[in-house]
Amino acid sequence: MSWLPIALVAVPLLGAVVSAVPAVRDRAVAWGIAVSGVVLVLAVALAAVFDHARPAGMQLQTDRPWIPGLGLRFHLGVDGVSLPLVVLTALLTFLCFVHLAGHPPAGGRPAALVVTLLVLEVGMIGTFLALDLLLFFVFFEVVLVPMYFVIALWGGAGRRAAAVKFILYTLLGSAVLLIGLLVVRTQAGTLDMVALAGRHGSGMARSAQILAFLAIGLGLAVKTPMWPLHTWLPDAHTEAPTVGSVLLAGVLLKMGSYGFARIAIPVLPEGAAALAPWLGAFAVAGIAYGSLACLAQRDLKRMIAYSSVGHMGFVLLGFASLTPVGLNGALFANVAHGLITGLLFFLAGAVKERYGTADMVRLGGGMLRRLPYIGSLLTFACVASLGLPGLAGFWGEMLALLGAFSPAAGLSRPLFLVFMAVGGLGTVLTAAYFLGMLSRVTHGRVVENVPAGPLEPPGPPVATAEGVREVLSEAGEGAEPVEPVATGAAVAALDREWAEQEIARASAVAADEGEAGATGAARAHGPGVADAAEVGRGRRPFGDVTVHELAAWLPLVALIVLFGLWPKALLAVTTPAVQSLLGSGVAP
Amino acid sequence: MHVVYPVVVSALLFSIGVYGVLARRNAILVLMSVELMLNAVNLNLVAFDVWLRDRLHGGQVLTLFVIVIAAAEVGLGLAIVLAVFRTRRTVDVDRLRALAEVVRAPDPGRPDGEGAS
Amino acid sequence: MTAVVALIVLLPFAAAVAGLLATRLGTRTERMAYRRAAWFAIAPGAASAALTVWLAVALAHGTGVSEGRFWSELLPGRVEGTLTVVETGSVPISLTLRADGLSVLAGILVVVVALAVQVYSVGYMRDEPRYPSYSAFVSLFTSAMLLVVYAGDLIVLYVGWEIMGLCSYLLIGHWWEDRANSRAAVKAFLVTRLGDVGFLFGIFVLGAAAGGFRIDDVLRADIPRGTLVAATLLLLAGVAGKSAQVPLQTWLPDAMAGPTPISALIHAATMVAAGIFVVARLYPAFLAAPPTLDVLGVVAAVGMLGAALAALAQDDLKRVLAYSTISQLAYMAAALAAGSDRAAMFHLVSHGAFKALLFLCAGLVIHHVGSNLISHMGGLRTALPVTFWTMTIGFAALAGLPPASGFFSKDAVISAIEHGTGPAQPFVYASALLTVGVTGAYAARAWLRTFFGPARIEPLPEPPPGVAHVFDGREAPPSMLWPAGVLAVPALLLGLAGPAAGVEVEWGPAAVSLAVALLGAGIVYALWRAAPEQDPARLLGPFRAPCERAFHVDAVYAALVVRPVLRLARGVVRADARVVDGAVRGSGRATLGLSGLVRLAQNGNAQLYVTGLLAGLVLIAVAAVVLT
Repeated sequence: MSWLPIALVAVPLLGAVVSAVPAVRDRAVAWGIAVSGVVLVLAVALAAVFDHARPAGMQLQTDRPWIPGLGLRFHLGVDGVSLPLVVLTALLTFLCFVHLAGHPPAGGRPAALVVTLLVLEVGMIGTFLALDLLLFFVFFEVVLVPMYFVIALWGGAGRRAAAVKFILYTLLGSAVLLIGLLVVRTQAGTLDMVALAGRHGSGMARSAQILAFLAIGLGLAVKTPMWPLHTWLPDAHTEAPTVGSVLLAGVLLKMGSYGFARIAIPVLPEGAAALAPWLGAFAVAGIAYGSLACLAQRDLKRMIAYSSVGHMGFVLLGFASLTPVGLNGALFANVAHGLITGLLFFLAGAVKERYGTADMVRLGGGMLRRLPYIGSLLTFACVASLGLPGLAGFWGEMLALLGAFSPAAGLSRPLFLVFMAVGGLGTVLTAAYFLGMLSRVTHGRVVENVPAGPLEPPGPPVATAEGVREVLSEAGEGAEPVEPVATGAAVAALDREWAEQEIARASAVAADEGEAGATGAARAHGPGVADAAEVGRGRRPFGDVTVHELAAWLPLVALIVLFGLWPKALLAVTTPAVQSLLGSGVAP
Repeated sequence: MHVVYPVVVSALLFSIGVYGVLARRNAILVLMSVELMLNAVNLNLVAFDVWLRDRLHGGQVLTLFVIVIAAAEVGLGLAIVLAVFRTRRTVDVDRLRALAEVVRAPDPGRPDGEGAS
Repeated sequence: MTAVVALIVLLPFAAAVAGLLATRLGTRTERMAYRRAAWFAIAPGAASAALTVWLAVALAHGTGVSEGRFWSELLPGRVEGTLTVVETGSVPISLTLRADGLSVLAGILVVVVALAVQVYSVGYMRDEPRYPSYSAFVSLFTSAMLLVVYAGDLIVLYVGWEIMGLCSYLLIGHWWEDRANSRAAVKAFLVTRLGDVGFLFGIFVLGAAAGGFRIDDVLRADIPRGTLVAATLLLLAGVAGKSAQVPLQTWLPDAMAGPTPISALIHAATMVAAGIFVVARLYPAFLAAPPTLDVLGVVAAVGMLGAALAALAQDDLKRVLAYSTISQLAYMAAALAAGSDRAAMFHLVSHGAFKALLFLCAGLVIHHVGSNLISHMGGLRTALPVTFWTMTIGFAALAGLPPASGFFSKDAVISAIEHGTGPAQPFVYASALLTVGVTGAYAARAWLRTFFGPARIEPLPEPPPGVAHVFDGREAPPSMLWPAGVLAVPALLLGLAGPAAGVEVEWGPAAVSLAVALLGAGIVYALWRAAPEQDPARLLGPFRAPCERAFHVDAVYAALVVRPVLRLARGVVRADARVVDGAVRGSGRATLGLSGLVRLAQNGNAQLYVTGLLAGLVLIAVAAVVLT
């Protein structure tokens, strides 16, 4: 059965290669669904074959020599920590392809997108299965180029700048990560993660451990992302297409935090103990900063991106506590965040497709009247994301806070109590911005500024753009010619209010990148122009959920509820693995 | 004769040649300075050949090589200088900056490097 | 037996799921969907109620270890069962349900009021949009509250606690077409969430100290006093949030934006009582931490008088009842602070009955008049006879007039406060007595101005959203009258069951508080008789305005908390764009600048290149000579 991990990596690769064949290229999306479906079946089989009585040990291993001169081996395997992430990756990729089937990409070229996503899947799954340091690094890097193309070719208006920033920033982080890995190699003499984790840092000098942890930690922190190395994330998420955002938020961010659990903490315990207070400080700074930034956001996708910074702050706080319960919380929060934020980005993409914009002011309000199912699902996803008990998001946050409440021996307890308090306040701010967003977007009347008249009984929702345009023209207000959203008067007033901030940001961006082109100028004049130019791309008729969307979203909804009500499903697998990773070196 | 005398002369000649290569503006003078450097090397080679009493006369053999190469190089160099003069109307080395990296606004109607030389 | 408890909790949950997903499957008309939703709402609720009664009987006959708590003679039995233990890596969580006398007492209150409200809503929400989702959320709320009541583990309790908060948010914002309702819902959720953060930290302290989150383990563990004080103070934050005590009380009056049955269920009888219930549940821990009880007493004293004064000055009938709820909850908190959980729970049950009754009757009045404002009401005694009599019983119970249940329960509370010890006790007692008088005053004011005096009904053509129905001539459909009638029975007679529960009437304090209440009511009556069209609250004089605005606490919070946070948020976004991202862009600019510097060497002058070559050569030669 040890061929399963190899198959998980080989099948998407072969699928990508075969997609170049012309016969397959015409039905590229169907081929993509088939390949990712096979991968999902393999991942579920992996979960079934996995010995749940011994999740602490590495199972289904493959260990072949690869580059003997460097001591590099092709070592794959899975244990309680990586198993949920592998299944999550396979599931999200499959759901992305299902979504793609009903919603072809706005930039065209579906075959190229399928190839890109399949190569991306190879990198993502490989990262979670690799058990050799440099093999991990190879897969870690493999995801960067496909994601760059996904953003740069199929993204929104500012895609070029966002894609370049994404790839350069994460590449810089990876370079630092490589230095750290090589320090470990020279000090410990081996690249094998299992052996290194078993040693718990004996044989490596303390200063070398600290240096290596610093380098590896910085490299992973860019990917996670950790404040203040997070600024590539909002632009990348906002400009990426729906499937790109889902995979970026749902999986790529997990690769960074998985590195902490797999490499940084078990292999370098003394380095971790020395730098854990800093990690915790930056983590809670991210929680507070991300939540505050969300409160003032105007773009829906950007808001969800900053909320990811906040959620990954909880993950890092769990790691910083260096206790089994903290690591449990971090790993649970990882999986929960993947499911919930994946669903949120799917929904944001659906909203953007229908309204033509993700700007909350222009969306107006009353989505629960216009699009009741999407509005309800958006409410559900936001409630799950703010960490309501009974849904998956709560357990990760709670266990991370519990870890911070009693951190490992040797860490300053008062400091971590402060971290815990800030994290708790962060949850209140999270609730504030999500509920505020729901109030602005889903509640309220459908068309603002319509002159007050007798209350009509709730009739059938205005389902088409034409219908709403009729209502607008009857009202006699300055109707927007293109989008069936809030009337021009309301939007213009608020646009003026926000123009100053937009101009400041846009001029800073435009000056630096020397882009005097359409994007920069449009941004300086307000979002309307750029949006109008982009509106033609990928608009769909104004209806409620489609079959493909439901098929893509319902598994996520079901899993969020399942893990929320039965956290043991995940904790039973991760707890023994985490205890063995921490070993006897760090007391709970 | 002690070897010092021709070696010192050779060093002086070489220095004069280096000065000419680095500091003269006219391309032909640069070429002449290169010739001077090469001949200084020749003198050095012959002097050491005699002083070391080399049985195979390696120094003198190498001198012959250098003479031939110098002649070929000067011929080629002068041909290039003539071609440059035909197109740019100047052989001032300071003016021939087309390989520079600094982006300067191109002067309309005046190809790069022309003007009072 | 544990299966019965599990069923009691899960039946409303199943009703909620069915109500959300299955009401429109195969139905062709809106009426059919509504009818199916009504069945989904009422049938499981009735089954839960029946099972609760059966459980109570079983516990009454049961035998169990006597723990010396106040219900141990009446309901000695105990049921506890664990589904599984979740290993977290440090403190384990056990999914445990537990039923004892206290839970059954609260449980009966919950299921009876929930059932009454569901039946009432069938009539109240008849022509309202989204009735199926409304009733489903009410069922979900009922399930969550029952989970709190029957939880045997602190984390399980917390799960139910938060889900109640969610349902409160969803139901307050039921008429979300009006953004004000949406804002009120958000405010309610955020204020309670703030309290819940402290609550969670208190749970952490207790669980870590006891080595497990099971309530039994926590109560039996030997926890040092300092830790207990810290834990109970943190728990108080959650109690203050959910039970609308100072300083987290500002959400409750605004929560009246929701439909009136919701106000009856959530914001009068059950959710707000959950805080009191939790303190009673963990009472041995609180008794071992006297400083916490002192803090609770002071908070309660401030809250009861302030809220009562605010109630006196309100014009909106529902807001009067909301402030009244805050005040009565403060009574229960004061009883707990004085050391008597028996009195607190007795008042909780009796208050649940009469406050729910008052809200349901208020709904009947509002349904008839089409407006929430008292100044639009008057002379309704003849138009609404059933409502008049039931609401009179409710107001009598509120004011503490015999023989209504409020008289007995309030007497129990006042006696407990009088016997209490502790540094703040005189202050609490004085505050309680004053509040009795003010309570009598505002109850009389609401009663008189609603049902007596000149009739002022003007049938409004279009009531604004947030107010159900228009004037249609008759009193109300029977589905709305029956629940009110049913609740009037315990509101009137529950007090007589007091002695059976071991609550004796102390006639001295009872007489004093009765006299004070009658004094307050009498003053208001005199003012009203003098000028029936004017508001008796004018007796507050210049204090009327601050009382009506609840002493401007809302404005203070907005200025001290809300606006600075929003300003900080905008600052963070600016800092992110200019400073953090500026550093990133700056690194790009710095690299370009550096490359510009390096480019200066590439000026196209061949002689410069050769010079560089020569210099390097000389350096290498020197190095070779020197280093070897």
